[in-house]
Amino acid sequence: MVGKFEGFEIPKPIPALTEDTKPYWEGCARHELLIQHCQDCGHFRFPPSGLCPKCMSTNTEWVAVSGKGQVYSWTIFHYVYHPAYAKDIPYNVAIVQLNEGPLLHTNIVECNNEDIYIGMPVEVIFEDVNDEISLPKFRPLSK
Amino acid sequence: MNLKETCAIVGVGFSEFGKKVPKSTMTLTLEGCKRAIEDAGLTKDDVDGLLLVLPSQEGERHGWVCRTCSHLGISSTFSAGLDIGGATPIAMVQMATMAINAGMCNTVVCCYGWQNSPMGIPLSMPPGLDFTAPYGDLAALPFKAQVARRHMHLFGTTSRQMGAVAVTFRRHACMNPQAQMYEKGPITIEDHQNSRMIVEPLRLLDNAPITDSGGAVVVTSAERARHLKHRPVYISGMGQAHSGEFMRPWRDPRYPEGTFEGGKAAEIAFGMAGVRHKDIDVAQFYDGFTILVIIELEAYGFCKPGEGGSFVEEGRLELGGELPSNTAGGLLSEGHLMGMGHIAEAVRQLRGECEERQVKDAEVAFVTGYGGSPHEYPISFSYSTLILTR
Ligand SMILES: [Zn+2]
Repeated sequence: MVGKFEGFEIPKPIPALTEDTKPYWEGCARHELLIQHCQDCGHFRFPPSGLCPKCMSTNTEWVAVSGKGQVYSWTIFHYVYHPAYAKDIPYNVAIVQLNEGPLLHTNIVECNNEDIYIGMPVEVIFEDVNDEISLPKFRPLSK
Repeated sequence: MNLKETCAIVGVGFSEFGKKVPKSTMTLTLEGCKRAIEDAGLTKDDVDGLLLVLPSQEGERHGWVCRTCSHLGISSTFSAGLDIGGATPIAMVQMATMAINAGMCNTVVCCYGWQNSPMGIPLSMPPGLDFTAPYGDLAALPFKAQVARRHMHLFGTTSRQMGAVAVTFRRHACMNPQAQMYEKGPITIEDHQNSRMIVEPLRLLDNAPITDSGGAVVVTSAERARHLKHRPVYISGMGQAHSGEFMRPWRDPRYPEGTFEGGKAAEIAFGMAGVRHKDIDVAQFYDGFTILVIIELEAYGFCKPGEGGSFVEEGRLELGGELPSNTAGGLLSEGHLMGMGHIAEAVRQLRGECEERQVKDAEVAFVTGYGGSPHEYPISFSYSTLILTR
Protein backbone atom coordinates (compact mmCIF):
# COMPACT_ATOMS: atom_id res chain seq x y z
CA MET A 1 0.00 0.00 0.00
CA VAL A 2 2.99 2.30 -0.37
CA GLY A 3 2.51 4.99 -2.95
CA LYS A 4 2.19 8.65 -3.73
CA PHE A 5 -0.96 10.28 -2.57
CA GLU A 6 -0.20 13.85 -3.51
CA GLY A 7 -2.97 16.42 -3.36
CA PHE A 8 -5.15 14.68 -0.86
CA GLU A 9 -4.64 13.23 2.56
CA ILE A 10 -5.68 9.75 3.56
CA PRO A 11 -6.78 9.77 7.20
CA LYS A 12 -5.61 7.25 9.76
CA PRO A 13 -8.17 4.53 10.37
CA ILE A 14 -10.40 5.11 13.37
CA PRO A 15 -12.41 2.52 15.27
CA ALA A 16 -16.04 1.89 14.35
CA LEU A 17 -18.31 1.49 17.36
CA THR A 18 -20.15 -1.84 17.48
CA GLU A 19 -22.73 -3.32 19.84
CA ASP A 20 -19.83 -4.93 21.71
CA THR A 21 -17.30 -2.12 21.74
CA LYS A 22 -19.46 1.00 22.23
CA PRO A 23 -19.06 1.20 26.05
CA TYR A 24 -15.28 0.81 25.71
CA TRP A 25 -14.90 3.67 23.22
CA GLU A 26 -17.40 5.85 25.08
CA GLY A 27 -15.28 5.36 28.20
CA CYS A 28 -12.16 6.31 26.25
CA ALA A 29 -13.89 9.49 25.03
CA ARG A 30 -14.36 10.42 28.72
CA HIS A 31 -10.70 9.45 29.31
CA GLU A 32 -11.68 6.42 31.35
CA LEU A 33 -10.28 2.96 30.58
CA LEU A 34 -13.25 0.62 31.01
CA ILE A 35 -12.70 -3.13 30.92
CA GLN A 36 -15.31 -5.87 31.22
CA HIS A 37 -15.18 -7.66 34.56
CA CYS A 38 -16.87 -11.04 35.08
CA GLN A 39 -19.17 -10.86 38.08
CA ASP A 40 -18.97 -14.61 38.59
CA CYS A 41 -15.27 -15.47 38.35
CA GLY A 42 -13.64 -12.05 38.52
CA HIS A 43 -11.82 -12.38 35.18
CA PHE A 44 -11.07 -9.11 33.34
CA ARG A 45 -11.47 -9.63 29.58
CA PHE A 46 -10.42 -7.80 26.43
CA PRO A 47 -11.57 -7.39 23.67
CA PRO A 48 -15.18 -6.71 24.68
CA SER A 49 -17.50 -9.67 24.16
CA GLY A 50 -20.79 -11.17 25.22
CA LEU A 51 -19.45 -13.72 27.66
CA CYS A 52 -16.51 -14.62 29.86
CA PRO A 53 -13.99 -16.92 28.10
CA LYS A 54 -12.92 -18.33 31.43
CA CYS A 55 -16.29 -19.39 32.89
CA MET A 56 -18.83 -18.53 30.13
CA SER A 57 -20.80 -16.29 32.49
CA THR A 58 -22.79 -13.46 30.91
CA ASN A 59 -22.87 -11.46 34.15
CA THR A 60 -20.58 -8.61 33.26
CA GLU A 61 -19.85 -5.15 34.55
CA TRP A 62 -17.73 -2.46 32.96
CA VAL A 63 -15.21 -1.19 35.47
CA ALA A 64 -12.67 1.61 35.29
CA VAL A 65 -9.26 -0.02 35.71
CA SER A 66 -6.05 1.51 37.03
CA GLY A 67 -4.65 2.20 33.57
CA LYS A 68 -1.29 0.93 34.78
CA GLY A 69 0.61 -1.98 33.36
CA GLN A 70 3.82 -3.20 31.73
CA VAL A 71 5.18 -3.47 28.20
CA TYR A 72 4.65 -7.11 27.18
CA SER A 73 6.26 -6.84 23.74
CA TRP A 74 7.07 -4.04 21.29
CA THR A 75 8.05 -3.39 17.69
CA ILE A 76 9.28 -0.52 15.54
CA PHE A 77 7.65 0.02 12.15
CA HIS A 78 10.07 0.94 9.34
CA TYR A 79 7.70 -0.02 6.53
CA VAL A 80 4.68 1.94 5.32
CA TYR A 81 1.67 -0.40 5.45
CA HIS A 82 -0.76 2.51 5.20
CA PRO A 83 0.00 5.93 3.70
CA ALA A 84 -1.46 7.77 6.68
CA TYR A 85 1.41 6.51 8.83
CA ALA A 86 4.21 7.35 6.37
CA LYS A 87 5.19 10.51 8.19
CA ASP A 88 5.37 8.71 11.55
CA ILE A 89 8.05 6.22 10.51
CA PRO A 90 9.82 4.89 12.49
CA TYR A 91 7.02 4.47 15.04
CA ASN A 92 6.44 1.95 17.78
CA VAL A 93 3.55 -0.44 18.32
CA ALA A 94 3.59 -2.21 21.68
CA ILE A 95 1.47 -4.74 23.51
CA VAL A 96 0.79 -3.62 27.06
CA GLN A 97 -0.43 -5.95 29.79
CA LEU A 98 -2.66 -4.12 32.25
CA ASN A 99 -2.15 -4.85 35.93
CA GLU A 100 -5.64 -6.40 35.85
CA GLY A 101 -4.48 -8.97 33.24
CA PRO A 102 -5.68 -8.05 29.73
CA LEU A 103 -3.23 -7.36 26.90
CA LEU A 104 -3.83 -4.70 24.27
CA HIS A 105 -2.08 -3.11 21.30
CA THR A 106 -1.05 0.51 21.72
CA ASN A 107 1.65 3.10 21.09
CA ILE A 108 4.16 4.13 23.75
CA VAL A 109 4.31 7.93 23.88
CA GLU A 110 6.49 10.47 25.67
CA CYS A 111 9.37 8.03 25.23
CA ASN A 112 12.12 7.44 22.63
CA ASN A 113 11.67 4.21 20.70
CA GLU A 114 15.10 2.98 21.78
CA ASP A 115 14.19 3.40 25.46
CA ILE A 116 11.26 0.96 25.36
CA TYR A 117 11.85 -2.43 27.00
CA ILE A 118 9.84 -5.49 27.98
CA GLY A 119 8.61 -5.06 31.52
CA MET A 120 8.69 -1.25 31.37
CA PRO A 121 6.03 0.17 33.76
CA VAL A 122 3.53 2.35 31.89
CA GLU A 123 0.30 4.26 32.47
CA VAL A 124 -2.55 5.16 30.16
CA ILE A 125 -3.10 8.57 28.61
CA PHE A 126 -5.78 9.42 26.03
CA GLU A 127 -5.23 11.02 22.63
CA ASP A 128 -8.34 12.73 21.30
CA VAL A 129 -8.93 11.93 17.61
CA ASN A 130 -12.34 13.63 17.33
CA ASP A 131 -15.38 14.30 19.54
CA GLU A 132 -16.30 10.60 19.71
CA ILE A 133 -12.96 8.81 19.64
CA SER A 134 -9.99 8.98 21.97
CA LEU A 135 -7.25 6.38 21.71
CA PRO A 136 -5.74 4.94 24.86
CA LYS A 137 -1.95 5.14 24.62
CA PHE A 138 0.67 4.56 27.26
CA ARG A 139 3.61 6.53 28.63
CA PRO A 140 6.37 5.60 31.07
CA LEU A 141 4.95 5.50 34.58
CA SER A 142 5.82 8.67 36.45
CA LYS A 143 7.23 7.80 39.83
CA MET B 1 -12.44 -45.20 13.69
CA ASN B 2 -8.81 -44.66 12.62
CA LEU B 3 -8.66 -43.26 9.09
CA LYS B 4 -4.93 -43.97 8.73
CA GLU B 5 -4.03 -44.70 5.09
CA THR B 6 -7.66 -44.89 4.01
CA CYS B 7 -7.04 -42.07 1.51
CA ALA B 8 -4.15 -40.80 -0.55
CA ILE B 9 -2.97 -37.73 -2.40
CA VAL B 10 -2.75 -38.67 -6.06
CA GLY B 11 -2.26 -35.36 -7.85
CA VAL B 12 -0.65 -31.97 -7.23
CA GLY B 13 -0.54 -28.92 -9.47
CA PHE B 14 0.01 -25.17 -9.57
CA SER B 15 -0.78 -22.30 -11.88
CA GLU B 16 1.93 -20.07 -13.21
CA PHE B 17 3.06 -18.22 -10.09
CA GLY B 18 5.22 -15.25 -9.17
CA LYS B 19 5.30 -11.77 -7.69
CA LYS B 20 2.86 -10.41 -10.30
CA VAL B 21 0.72 -12.65 -12.49
CA PRO B 22 -2.00 -10.75 -14.40
CA LYS B 23 -4.74 -13.34 -13.91
CA SER B 24 -7.83 -13.34 -11.73
CA THR B 25 -8.12 -15.22 -8.45
CA MET B 26 -10.59 -17.56 -10.16
CA THR B 27 -8.38 -18.25 -13.17
CA LEU B 28 -5.39 -18.99 -10.94
CA THR B 29 -7.61 -21.39 -8.98
CA LEU B 30 -8.86 -23.15 -12.11
CA GLU B 31 -5.33 -23.54 -13.54
CA GLY B 32 -4.16 -25.14 -10.30
CA CYS B 33 -7.11 -27.56 -10.39
CA LYS B 34 -6.51 -28.48 -14.03
CA ARG B 35 -2.84 -29.30 -13.42
CA ALA B 36 -3.55 -31.33 -10.28
CA ILE B 37 -6.24 -33.38 -12.04
CA GLU B 38 -3.89 -33.97 -14.99
CA ASP B 39 -1.06 -34.94 -12.63
CA ALA B 40 -3.37 -37.57 -11.12
CA GLY B 41 -4.08 -38.97 -14.57
CA LEU B 42 -7.78 -38.26 -14.08
CA THR B 43 -10.35 -36.16 -15.87
CA LYS B 44 -12.77 -33.68 -14.34
CA ASP B 45 -15.53 -36.26 -14.65
CA ASP B 46 -13.70 -38.39 -12.09
CA VAL B 47 -13.96 -35.59 -9.52
CA ASP B 48 -17.03 -35.48 -7.26
CA GLY B 49 -15.85 -33.22 -4.42
CA LEU B 50 -14.42 -29.70 -4.29
CA LEU B 51 -12.98 -27.83 -1.31
CA LEU B 52 -11.35 -24.43 -1.47
CA VAL B 53 -9.74 -21.72 0.62
CA LEU B 54 -12.08 -18.72 0.80
CA PRO B 55 -10.10 -15.91 -0.89
CA SER B 56 -10.31 -13.18 1.74
CA GLN B 57 -8.76 -10.55 -0.53
CA GLU B 58 -11.90 -10.84 -2.68
CA GLY B 59 -14.04 -9.73 0.26
CA GLU B 60 -17.20 -11.45 1.45
CA ARG B 61 -18.36 -12.99 -1.81
CA HIS B 62 -20.73 -15.84 -1.19
CA GLY B 63 -20.92 -18.97 -3.27
CA TRP B 64 -17.28 -18.90 -4.36
CA VAL B 65 -16.96 -22.69 -4.21
CA CYS B 66 -20.15 -23.23 -6.22
CA ARG B 67 -18.94 -20.88 -8.96
CA THR B 68 -15.58 -22.65 -9.02
CA CYS B 69 -17.40 -25.96 -9.50
CA SER B 70 -19.36 -24.48 -12.40
CA HIS B 71 -16.26 -23.01 -14.02
CA LEU B 72 -14.57 -26.42 -13.79
CA GLY B 73 -17.66 -28.17 -15.17
CA ILE B 74 -17.69 -30.51 -12.19
CA SER B 75 -20.79 -32.01 -10.63
CA SER B 76 -19.87 -32.26 -6.98
CA THR B 77 -21.59 -34.18 -4.20
CA PHE B 78 -19.47 -32.53 -1.51
CA SER B 79 -18.22 -28.93 -1.47
CA ALA B 80 -17.21 -26.25 1.03
CA GLY B 81 -15.23 -23.03 1.25
CA LEU B 82 -13.01 -22.96 4.33
CA ASP B 83 -11.05 -20.32 6.18
CA ILE B 84 -8.53 -20.91 8.93
CA GLY B 85 -5.88 -18.82 7.17
CA GLY B 86 -2.63 -20.57 6.26
CA ALA B 87 -3.80 -23.70 8.09
CA THR B 88 -6.58 -24.20 5.52
CA PRO B 89 -4.85 -26.26 2.76
CA ILE B 90 -4.04 -29.04 5.23
CA ALA B 91 -7.50 -28.77 6.79
CA MET B 92 -9.01 -29.36 3.33
CA VAL B 93 -7.03 -32.58 2.87
CA GLN B 94 -8.27 -33.68 6.31
CA MET B 95 -11.87 -32.86 5.48
CA ALA B 96 -11.62 -34.60 2.12
CA THR B 97 -10.39 -37.74 3.92
CA MET B 98 -13.35 -37.61 6.30
CA ALA B 99 -15.89 -37.00 3.54
CA ILE B 100 -14.56 -39.87 1.41
CA ASN B 101 -14.71 -42.20 4.41
CA ALA B 102 -18.24 -40.97 5.13
CA GLY B 103 -19.23 -42.08 1.63
CA MET B 104 -20.18 -38.60 0.47
CA CYS B 105 -17.73 -38.54 -2.43
CA ASN B 106 -14.76 -40.44 -3.79
CA THR B 107 -12.33 -37.98 -5.34
CA VAL B 108 -11.88 -34.46 -3.97
CA VAL B 109 -9.96 -31.52 -5.41
CA CYS B 110 -8.65 -29.23 -2.63
CA CYS B 111 -7.67 -25.89 -4.14
CA TYR B 112 -6.94 -22.21 -3.64
CA GLY B 113 -6.24 -19.12 -5.70
CA TRP B 114 -4.58 -15.93 -4.58
CA GLN B 115 -4.30 -12.69 -6.56
CA ASN B 116 -2.79 -10.00 -4.33
CA SER B 117 -4.23 -7.08 -6.30
CA PRO B 118 -7.45 -8.27 -7.92
CA MET B 119 -8.97 -5.88 -10.47
CA GLY B 120 -12.42 -4.62 -9.60
CA ILE B 121 -11.99 -5.06 -5.85
CA PRO B 122 -11.34 -1.76 -4.08
CA LEU B 123 -8.48 -1.94 -1.60
CA SER B 124 -10.23 -1.02 1.57
CA MET B 125 -9.65 -1.37 5.24
CA PRO B 126 -10.89 -4.75 6.42
CA PRO B 127 -13.38 -4.41 9.27
CA GLY B 128 -12.51 -5.62 12.73
CA LEU B 129 -9.10 -3.99 13.06
CA ASP B 130 -10.32 -1.45 15.61
CA PHE B 131 -7.84 -2.47 18.28
CA THR B 132 -4.77 -2.57 16.02
CA ALA B 133 -5.08 -0.33 12.93
CA PRO B 134 -5.56 2.98 14.79
CA TYR B 135 -2.10 2.38 16.27
CA GLY B 136 -0.57 1.86 12.83
CA ASP B 137 -0.60 -1.95 12.93
CA LEU B 138 -2.38 -3.40 9.89
CA ALA B 139 -0.68 -6.40 8.32
CA ALA B 140 0.27 -10.00 9.01
CA LEU B 141 3.93 -9.41 9.76
CA PRO B 142 3.80 -7.00 12.72
CA PHE B 143 2.25 -9.43 15.17
CA LYS B 144 5.01 -11.93 14.37
CA ALA B 145 7.47 -9.17 15.25
CA GLN B 146 5.80 -8.92 18.68
CA VAL B 147 6.07 -12.71 19.04
CA ALA B 148 9.72 -12.64 17.94
CA ARG B 149 10.59 -9.88 20.43
CA ARG B 150 8.98 -11.81 23.26
CA HIS B 151 10.77 -15.03 22.24
CA MET B 152 14.12 -13.19 22.09
CA HIS B 153 13.48 -11.70 25.53
CA LEU B 154 12.47 -14.95 27.22
CA PHE B 155 14.85 -17.42 25.55
CA GLY B 156 17.72 -15.41 24.10
CA THR B 157 16.68 -16.24 20.53
CA THR B 158 18.65 -14.08 18.07
CA SER B 159 18.04 -12.43 14.74
CA ARG B 160 20.92 -14.52 13.33
CA GLN B 161 19.05 -17.70 14.36
CA MET B 162 15.98 -16.47 12.49
CA GLY B 163 18.34 -15.69 9.62
CA ALA B 164 19.48 -19.32 9.63
CA VAL B 165 15.91 -20.33 8.71
CA ALA B 166 15.92 -17.98 5.70
CA VAL B 167 19.43 -19.03 4.58
CA THR B 168 18.63 -22.75 4.81
CA PHE B 169 15.38 -22.56 2.86
CA ARG B 170 16.95 -20.32 0.19
CA ARG B 171 19.68 -22.90 -0.29
CA HIS B 172 16.95 -25.48 -0.90
CA ALA B 173 15.11 -23.15 -3.31
CA CYS B 174 18.30 -22.92 -5.35
CA MET B 175 17.76 -26.61 -6.17
CA ASN B 176 14.18 -25.91 -7.31
CA PRO B 177 14.00 -24.15 -10.71
CA GLN B 178 10.27 -23.45 -10.12
CA ALA B 179 11.00 -21.39 -6.99
CA GLN B 180 10.27 -17.68 -7.06
CA MET B 181 13.69 -16.94 -5.51
CA TYR B 182 15.63 -19.46 -7.68
CA GLU B 183 17.09 -16.73 -9.92
CA LYS B 184 18.12 -14.64 -6.91
CA GLY B 185 20.59 -17.30 -5.77
CA PRO B 186 21.75 -18.21 -2.28
CA ILE B 187 21.91 -15.79 0.66
CA THR B 188 24.18 -15.64 3.71
CA ILE B 189 23.52 -14.73 7.34
CA GLU B 190 25.22 -11.42 6.59
CA ASP B 191 22.76 -10.78 3.72
CA HIS B 192 19.96 -11.43 6.21
CA GLN B 193 21.50 -9.14 8.82
CA ASN B 194 21.99 -6.41 6.22
CA SER B 195 18.45 -6.66 4.79
CA ARG B 196 16.30 -3.71 5.76
CA MET B 197 14.12 -3.65 8.83
CA ILE B 198 10.42 -4.04 8.08
CA VAL B 199 8.99 -4.16 11.57
CA GLU B 200 11.79 -4.42 14.09
CA PRO B 201 12.97 -7.02 15.06
CA LEU B 202 11.95 -8.62 11.71
CA ARG B 203 13.84 -7.84 8.51
CA LEU B 204 12.94 -8.17 4.85
CA LEU B 205 14.49 -11.65 4.66
CA ASP B 206 12.41 -12.83 7.64
CA ASN B 207 9.36 -12.38 5.44
CA ALA B 208 7.91 -14.51 2.62
CA PRO B 209 7.54 -12.76 -0.74
CA ILE B 210 4.24 -11.70 -2.28
CA THR B 211 3.01 -14.36 -4.72
CA ASP B 212 0.08 -14.53 -7.11
CA SER B 213 -0.74 -18.21 -7.49
CA GLY B 214 -3.27 -21.00 -7.58
CA GLY B 215 -2.84 -24.61 -6.65
CA ALA B 216 -4.57 -27.88 -5.84
CA VAL B 217 -4.13 -31.42 -4.63
CA VAL B 218 -6.36 -34.38 -5.45
CA VAL B 219 -7.42 -36.75 -2.65
CA THR B 220 -9.08 -40.10 -3.31
CA SER B 221 -9.61 -43.46 -1.60
CA ALA B 222 -6.54 -45.65 -1.06
CA GLU B 223 -8.23 -48.36 -3.12
CA ARG B 224 -8.64 -46.12 -6.14
CA ALA B 225 -5.21 -44.53 -5.61
CA ARG B 226 -3.49 -47.86 -6.19
CA HIS B 227 -4.72 -47.89 -9.81
CA LEU B 228 -3.62 -44.38 -10.77
CA LYS B 229 -0.60 -42.84 -12.47
CA HIS B 230 1.71 -42.18 -9.51
CA ARG B 231 2.76 -44.10 -6.44
CA PRO B 232 0.07 -43.17 -3.86
CA VAL B 233 1.04 -40.89 -1.01
CA TYR B 234 -1.07 -42.01 1.92
CA ILE B 235 -2.67 -39.73 4.48
CA SER B 236 -1.49 -41.39 7.70
CA GLY B 237 -2.00 -38.78 10.37
CA MET B 238 -3.81 -35.48 10.72
CA GLY B 239 -4.41 -32.99 13.51
CA GLN B 240 -5.50 -29.46 14.33
CA ALA B 241 -5.36 -27.06 17.26
CA HIS B 242 -6.93 -23.62 17.66
CA SER B 243 -6.42 -21.14 20.47
CA GLY B 244 -5.49 -17.63 21.45
CA GLU B 245 -2.83 -18.42 24.00
CA PHE B 246 -0.42 -15.58 23.25
CA MET B 247 -2.85 -13.00 24.58
CA ARG B 248 -4.76 -14.80 27.27
CA PRO B 249 -3.74 -14.97 30.89
CA TRP B 250 -3.96 -18.73 31.44
CA ARG B 251 -1.96 -21.44 29.70
CA ASP B 252 -1.54 -25.13 29.12
CA PRO B 253 1.23 -25.79 31.69
CA ARG B 254 3.20 -27.89 29.18
CA TYR B 255 3.92 -24.80 27.11
CA PRO B 256 5.73 -22.05 28.97
CA GLU B 257 4.75 -18.45 28.45
CA GLY B 258 6.17 -17.10 25.19
CA THR B 259 5.77 -20.39 23.34
CA PHE B 260 2.76 -21.63 21.40
CA GLU B 261 0.26 -24.33 22.25
CA GLY B 262 -0.05 -25.91 18.81
CA GLY B 263 1.28 -29.19 20.18
CA LYS B 264 -2.06 -30.98 20.14
CA ALA B 265 -2.15 -30.72 16.35
CA ALA B 266 1.00 -32.84 16.19
CA GLU B 267 0.11 -35.17 19.07
CA ILE B 268 -3.14 -36.17 17.38
CA ALA B 269 -1.43 -36.70 14.01
CA PHE B 270 1.48 -38.70 15.45
CA GLY B 271 -0.97 -40.84 17.43
CA MET B 272 -3.11 -41.55 14.39
CA ALA B 273 -0.13 -42.43 12.19
CA GLY B 274 1.62 -44.44 14.89
CA VAL B 275 4.95 -42.74 14.21
CA ARG B 276 7.37 -40.74 16.35
CA HIS B 277 9.47 -37.67 15.74
CA LYS B 278 12.55 -39.71 14.86
CA ASP B 279 10.58 -41.47 12.09
CA ILE B 280 10.10 -38.22 10.13
CA ASP B 281 12.33 -38.27 7.03
CA VAL B 282 11.36 -34.87 5.64
CA ALA B 283 9.31 -31.95 7.02
CA GLN B 284 7.58 -28.90 5.55
CA PHE B 285 6.95 -26.22 8.19
CA TYR B 286 4.62 -23.29 7.50
CA ASP B 287 7.11 -20.44 7.20
CA GLY B 288 5.38 -17.18 6.32
CA PHE B 289 7.93 -15.66 8.72
CA THR B 290 11.20 -17.15 9.99
CA ILE B 291 10.17 -16.98 13.66
CA LEU B 292 7.21 -19.28 12.94
CA VAL B 293 9.53 -22.19 12.13
CA ILE B 294 11.33 -21.75 15.46
CA ILE B 295 8.11 -21.74 17.50
CA GLU B 296 6.64 -24.66 15.50
CA LEU B 297 9.72 -26.82 16.18
CA GLU B 298 9.10 -26.16 19.88
CA ALA B 299 5.32 -26.53 19.82
CA TYR B 300 5.42 -29.80 17.87
CA GLY B 301 8.05 -31.36 20.13
CA PHE B 302 11.08 -31.49 17.81
CA CYS B 303 12.96 -29.60 20.53
CA LYS B 304 12.27 -28.14 23.96
CA PRO B 305 10.51 -24.77 24.35
CA GLY B 306 13.06 -22.02 23.87
CA GLU B 307 15.51 -24.21 21.93
CA GLY B 308 14.12 -23.68 18.44
CA GLY B 309 16.67 -21.01 17.55
CA SER B 310 19.72 -23.14 18.30
CA PHE B 311 18.06 -26.18 16.68
CA VAL B 312 17.95 -24.29 13.37
CA GLU B 313 21.37 -22.68 13.79
CA GLU B 314 22.97 -26.11 14.16
CA GLY B 315 21.93 -26.93 10.60
CA ARG B 316 19.43 -29.66 11.44
CA LEU B 317 16.86 -28.42 8.89
CA GLU B 318 19.28 -28.59 5.98
CA LEU B 319 19.23 -31.28 3.32
CA GLY B 320 21.58 -33.87 4.80
CA GLY B 321 20.67 -32.75 8.35
CA GLU B 322 18.60 -34.74 10.81
CA LEU B 323 15.29 -33.09 9.83
CA PRO B 324 15.54 -31.83 6.23
CA SER B 325 12.81 -29.22 5.95
CA ASN B 326 11.14 -26.97 3.38
CA THR B 327 13.11 -28.73 0.68
CA ALA B 328 11.48 -26.73 -2.16
CA GLY B 329 12.33 -23.43 -0.43
CA GLY B 330 9.14 -22.97 1.60
CA LEU B 331 6.98 -19.87 1.61
CA LEU B 332 10.15 -17.88 2.28
CA SER B 333 11.86 -18.83 -0.99
CA GLU B 334 9.69 -21.08 -3.17
CA GLY B 335 6.92 -18.47 -2.96
CA HIS B 336 3.81 -17.82 -0.89
CA LEU B 337 1.79 -20.80 -2.10
CA MET B 338 -0.57 -20.64 0.91
CA GLY B 339 0.84 -23.83 2.41
CA MET B 340 -0.41 -25.90 -0.56
CA GLY B 341 3.18 -25.84 -1.77
CA HIS B 342 4.19 -27.61 1.45
CA ILE B 343 1.76 -30.48 0.83
CA ALA B 344 2.88 -30.73 -2.81
CA GLU B 345 6.58 -30.85 -1.91
CA ALA B 346 5.96 -33.60 0.66
CA VAL B 347 4.15 -35.57 -2.08
CA ARG B 348 7.01 -35.05 -4.56
CA GLN B 349 9.56 -36.16 -1.95
CA LEU B 350 7.62 -39.33 -1.14
CA ARG B 351 7.22 -40.08 -4.86
CA GLY B 352 10.99 -39.62 -5.25
CA GLU B 353 10.66 -36.87 -7.89
CA CYS B 354 12.94 -34.25 -6.33
CA GLU B 355 16.24 -34.96 -8.13
CA GLU B 356 19.00 -32.77 -6.66
CA ARG B 357 17.02 -31.97 -3.52
CA GLN B 358 15.61 -35.48 -3.01
CA VAL B 359 15.81 -36.83 0.55
CA LYS B 360 17.09 -40.36 0.04
CA ASP B 361 14.49 -43.07 0.71
CA ALA B 362 11.99 -40.59 2.17
CA GLU B 363 9.07 -42.61 3.54
CA VAL B 364 7.43 -40.39 6.19
CA ALA B 365 6.74 -36.66 5.78
CA PHE B 366 5.44 -34.13 8.32
CA VAL B 367 3.64 -31.04 7.00
CA THR B 368 2.29 -28.06 8.94
CA GLY B 369 -0.07 -25.17 8.33
CA TYR B 370 -0.45 -22.07 10.44
CA GLY B 371 -3.04 -19.34 10.40
CA GLY B 372 -5.97 -17.99 12.32
CA SER B 373 -6.61 -14.36 13.17
CA PRO B 374 -3.25 -12.64 13.54
CA HIS B 375 -4.42 -9.02 13.57
CA GLU B 376 -8.08 -8.98 14.49
CA TYR B 377 -8.90 -9.18 18.19
CA PRO B 378 -9.05 -11.56 19.93
CA ILE B 379 -5.76 -12.55 18.29
CA SER B 380 -6.02 -16.29 17.72
CA PHE B 381 -4.06 -19.09 16.10
CA SER B 382 -4.88 -22.15 14.01
CA TYR B 383 -2.47 -25.04 13.54
CA SER B 384 -2.91 -27.99 11.21
CA THR B 385 -0.66 -30.98 10.54
CA LEU B 386 -0.42 -33.93 8.16
CA ILE B 387 1.72 -37.03 8.27
CA LEU B 388 2.10 -38.52 4.81
CA THR B 389 3.63 -41.92 4.00
CA ARG B 390 4.37 -43.87 0.86
ZN1 LIG C 1 -15.98 -15.57 34.33
